[in-house]
Amino acid sequence: MQKSDFKKISNYLWEIPKDFRQDMKVPARFYVSEKSIEDIFRDKSINQLVNVATLSGIVNYSLAMPDMHEGYGFPIGGVAAVDLTSGVISPGGVGYDINCGMRVLKSDYLEKDIKPHLEKLATEIQKDVPSGLGRGRNIKLDLNSINKILEGGVQKLVEQGYGEKEDLENCESQGRISLADSLTVSDHAKNRGRDQLGTLGSGNHFLEIQKVEEIFDQETAEVFGLFKDQIVIMIHTGSRGLGHQIATDYIKIMMGAMRKYNVNLPDRELAACPISSNEGQRYLRAMACGANYAWSNRQMISFFIKKAWKSVLGEKSLPLVLLYDVAHNIAKIEKHIISGREMELCVHRKGSTRAFPPGHPEIPKKYQKIGQPVLIPGSMGTASYILAGQREGKEAFFSTCHGAGRAMSRKEATRRISGQEVKKRLESKGILVKCWSFKGIAEEAPMAYKDIDDVVETVHSAGLSKKVTKLIPLAVIKGE
Amino acid sequence: MKKYEIIDHKTDLKIKSFAKTKKDIFSNMLVAMTESMKPRFGKKREKVTREIKIKSEDFKTLLVDFLNEVLYLSQTNREVYFDINFKKFSEDELRAEVSGQKINRFNEDIKAATFHNLEIEKERGVWQSTVLFDI
Repeated sequence: MQKSDFKKISNYLWEIPKDFRQDMKVPARFYVSEKSIEDIFRDKSINQLVNVATLSGIVNYSLAMPDMHEGYGFPIGGVAAVDLTSGVISPGGVGYDINCGMRVLKSDYLEKDIKPHLEKLATEIQKDVPSGLGRGRNIKLDLNSINKILEGGVQKLVEQGYGEKEDLENCESQGRISLADSLTVSDHAKNRGRDQLGTLGSGNHFLEIQKVEEIFDQETAEVFGLFKDQIVIMIHTGSRGLGHQIATDYIKIMMGAMRKYNVNLPDRELAACPISSNEGQRYLRAMACGANYAWSNRQMISFFIKKAWKSVLGEKSLPLVLLYDVAHNIAKIEKHIISGREMELCVHRKGSTRAFPPGHPEIPKKYQKIGQPVLIPGSMGTASYILAGQREGKEAFFSTCHGAGRAMSRKEATRRISGQEVKKRLESKGILVKCWSFKGIAEEAPMAYKDIDDVVETVHSAGLSKKVTKLIPLAVIKGE
Repeated sequence: MKKYEIIDHKTDLKIKSFAKTKKDIFSNMLVAMTESMKPRFGKKREKVTREIKIKSEDFKTLLVDFLNEVLYLSQTNREVYFDINFKKFSEDELRAEVSGQKINRFNEDIKAATFHNLEIEKERGVWQSTVLFDI
């Protein structure tokens, strides 16, 4: 494949026509700026995007966001919407970390109010939110309690006192996909989740205490409750071992069942079954359980952060309030207008964030006029962004990017820089680093990632979501 | 002959293992995965043994299923395994005992062994297998 195979649709959108390969059912489209277009040849993500275009029932296009890179079957940053009646569902289109996603808690404090307490706050949060790789949480839930979380999600936790009613309103799907059926989840998966609720994980998962550095859209920022120099906390994690096991289980199940349904695919990691089949329906319900667990995980982490917040700043301190929580690895049943007709679609977003426009019924009332908050993490120690969904995102099934995307392997990063050096460089910029492994810090060094500013500029200019604020970290926290 | 090597990969963990026999592909990949989890041991080195039974579609799938089962046992029991004793071993089925030790923590979180670009082949009398792990 080469650049001449691409049709330029706009300054930020390119297409590989359907006749590029015989088995494509729709064209493949990707969002990338002209200056970054050569980068997409660095790995096989563009071929994977063409493979996605071969899925049965796929509607309009297979799509990729500007932070795309090679994944398993699907590229990371890939979006595929399939017809609910004739289409297939693919665990590879969701990924191993089901409902990996973002959450932002906002405070009413300014940087100058928190700065004197920053060290203590970061230490306390690190202690209260473990990675889960060492000691898990001290509580090991029984299978019955796990089932309640899988089916009840954040709603169950709020009933039990682990949050407020408004946490539900400010979470995608109110923190619960009602399709979830715990009978479709293996005991293996449940066992992996028993002591991991409220744990961060490792790799690129993080907690950051950030400040609002820049406001691009004052009106929208005000509705989101954001102001200059405000302190916010960003959480990036997912469904932990439970979600990984659901993916492992169903990739195996679907690989075995594909022949039965005459599903032929160019890559076995794309493994997919008709949504209407027994296997498809069971995966949809199991994936919903994984998604509910991930929202619950971020809810419990928020609970422990709020506890640390109060213990450091005092019982009478101003509270942390949930701005929004949104997934970037998920498949959702959504209604979209296709050629003037409303259709029910299963939208796979793998490394892509939902970005519903103003007026969409599935976003909180208070955000109706301006669109859904979109939370985009930078790599460790670099800027993150809050954006808002736009009507122009229709062509992408209201999807946008999910982060910076890796540009360098972990090994290469550790070869180039030590963890101590990364910590020193970040601290020289006034960023506090709380970590348990210097190697982990080196692997996640900012230089190992693509430029987040370019990725965000592309989705902003392409109309997928508009920039609202830029956040910069004051403290990076990786669990113990 | 070295048991395995780590191949540079942009986002994940790619391991290539070398073996004289088909059984050793499994043993060497087991050691490679265990070492990649970077376990930290406690003062007390408590020994453990676990039974594994797997039935798969074919030989390649058997390897991935085996690694995922070991991963499950490691993470839920906080143990790692270095040795394997086969009771049954065929193209699509295995029964075995893995043994190792309790640990205090992992320093690497492996999410899963995947089928992505999975390879098992014999070259000049040496079995070589490549597995990509999602981390």
